[in-house]
Amino acid sequence: MTDAASPASPLFSARGVVKHYRLGKVPVPALRGVDLEVERGEVVALAGPSGSGKTTLLNLFGGLDVPDEGAVMLAGRDLGALSEAERTRIRRHQLGFVFQTFNLVPVLTARENVEYPLWIAGTGAAERRRRAEAALAAVGLAERGGHRPDQLSGGERQRVAIARALVHEPLAVLADEPTGNLDSHNGEKVLDLLLRWNRESGATLVVATHDPAVLARLPRRVRLRDGAVVGDER
Amino acid sequence: MRWALMALRNLARNGRRTFISLLVVGTGTAALVLTAGFILFNFRGLEGALVHGGLAHLEVADAAAAAPGQLDRPVTDALADWQALRARLQSLPEVAAAGANVHLMGVASTPAGKSASFVAVGAEPDREKAMGFNTRLRAGAVLPAAPPAEGDDAALLARGLAASLGAKPGDVVTLLALTPDGSLNALDVRVAGVLTTGVQDLDTRFVKLHLATAQRLLQSTGVSDLLVMLREGVPLDAGKRAVARAVAAHRPALAVVDWKARAPFYDQVKNLYLGIFWFLGTVILVLVVLSASNTLLMAVLERTRELGTLRAIGTSRAQLAAIVLLEALWLGLLGGALGCLLGWGATLLINASHLQMPPPPGAVEPIDVELALVPAAFAGTVALMLVVLAVAAVVPIARATRLRVAEALTAV
Repeated sequence: MTDAASPASPLFSARGVVKHYRLGKVPVPALRGVDLEVERGEVVALAGPSGSGKTTLLNLFGGLDVPDEGAVMLAGRDLGALSEAERTRIRRHQLGFVFQTFNLVPVLTARENVEYPLWIAGTGAAERRRRAEAALAAVGLAERGGHRPDQLSGGERQRVAIARALVHEPLAVLADEPTGNLDSHNGEKVLDLLLRWNRESGATLVVATHDPAVLARLPRRVRLRDGAVVGDER
Repeated sequence: MRWALMALRNLARNGRRTFISLLVVGTGTAALVLTAGFILFNFRGLEGALVHGGLAHLEVADAAAAAPGQLDRPVTDALADWQALRARLQSLPEVAAAGANVHLMGVASTPAGKSASFVAVGAEPDREKAMGFNTRLRAGAVLPAAPPAEGDDAALLARGLAASLGAKPGDVVTLLALTPDGSLNALDVRVAGVLTTGVQDLDTRFVKLHLATAQRLLQSTGVSDLLVMLREGVPLDAGKRAVARAVAAHRPALAVVDWKARAPFYDQVKNLYLGIFWFLGTVILVLVVLSASNTLLMAVLERTRELGTLRAIGTSRAQLAAIVLLEALWLGLLGGALGCLLGWGATLLINASHLQMPPPPGAVEPIDVELALVPAAFAGTVALMLVVLAVAAVVPIARATRLRVAEALTAV
């Protein structure tokens, strides 16, 4: 894990965050003044119905977007004040992402997909391979590394995506509906993997979900509705 | 895992579209290779025709008469020692053969009363043979190598001139010319044969004589110039320098003129061909750019979510641009290789077909359609295709690198 900023500050903090999207020429509010802090090592669920703003907030935490108003901080650094290249570097080295639709690169094998974050970070081939194989073993897919995504089941694909998100030992993983496309059995396995990683690494896990089964297992649940935080249960 | 391998796999995702793009690039490459082969063959053919048709590689002439643009070569006192000079040139290691020429003009007439103006070259047949000159004889025989005895002079008439005089081999023609001291002299010559120069206009007035016959007609022992043929493989510039060194001390001063300076139309023809090549080439390249750009852009648009994911997990814009650029370069390389294969096969087929084109303006004989197989032209065309494909990738790269990551992740 790498962390260049102050270890005393919360890992993520949102202060008065406002974000609009445009639907044609009409601005649609996605977040309306959100304040939220996520500490290091915490496991937090962003809960709410579709359109509540949980994915938008997750994107802002991940530096995939910047707020229209307010500030989103990562380890004390204002992501909105950074250049696109600096945000890209932060995503590459300090964050991991898990998506609802897995988002694996179809032309790469499972092992190559897991190697990818190390590859773009300039890690040497031998080290890359060693860590990718370890990450695949950790998600129970040591024997499936040579398969392309279309040769894997949905649950396997998501486990490859988790291995990809964890292989470079990020400060935090941001998971957007990670069980949304899985049956309950595979959904549980995926959640098990993420929670086990959190326990073992002490890193932060933020999960956007509306799945009650997932919410029931996460210690902190921040509820959003219509772009505002309406509850924070611990 | 390498960027190039990933790019290659991306191309394979939509095999049919990639195949069509490869065909476009390949056809464009083949067209360029074939055009280049045709033009290069013509350049070589024209060079060979000029050098072996009478110009040789180099000419040594009176410096006063050989100013740039001045092509007339009267008999000159500057070359009074031409035999010694020819021997010196012949001894140079760069030189294959050297020979003397006399240039003259006058009026030819027959006993039947027909007459026509002529231009003539008096040459040494044995030296011309050593220089590899071609005499395109259409009737009769070539001139004998030995200097003819007085009263035994012969001439080769170009076929247009022979026709206008009504002369055939064995007939006698009277040549009338102005000598260097300004008086008129006439000489009866036997028509040994009829030739063609290959140039329609020249065929109406050209006469070929033995050097001794030309000197007898001009009542002179001088020559107009010396021609030098270089050994095979000796670069023209190097040969020219060697010959220039050998005649540097000669007085009066002599000039060494290469064949290109004596055939200014060679560069004109070359520039015309190159102009046509680049015009056709530009049209072909524009079509290739548009087609490849469309293919690459569609590939980028179809992969919006995937490219957004790559950006989300830390791929820089430069790295994303490299992926798209490498896909373009693969198209260029594979399409170029395909085109070279097509071009090579078509070249062999065309050369084996012995096709002919009608004579070009001013020429008297049809041209063989042959294409040169020049590896450098193939390599250069593939390199050009790589550049063209890189240009075709500009818009797709701009599109890929300007994606808004959060929006791209929601693309369907």
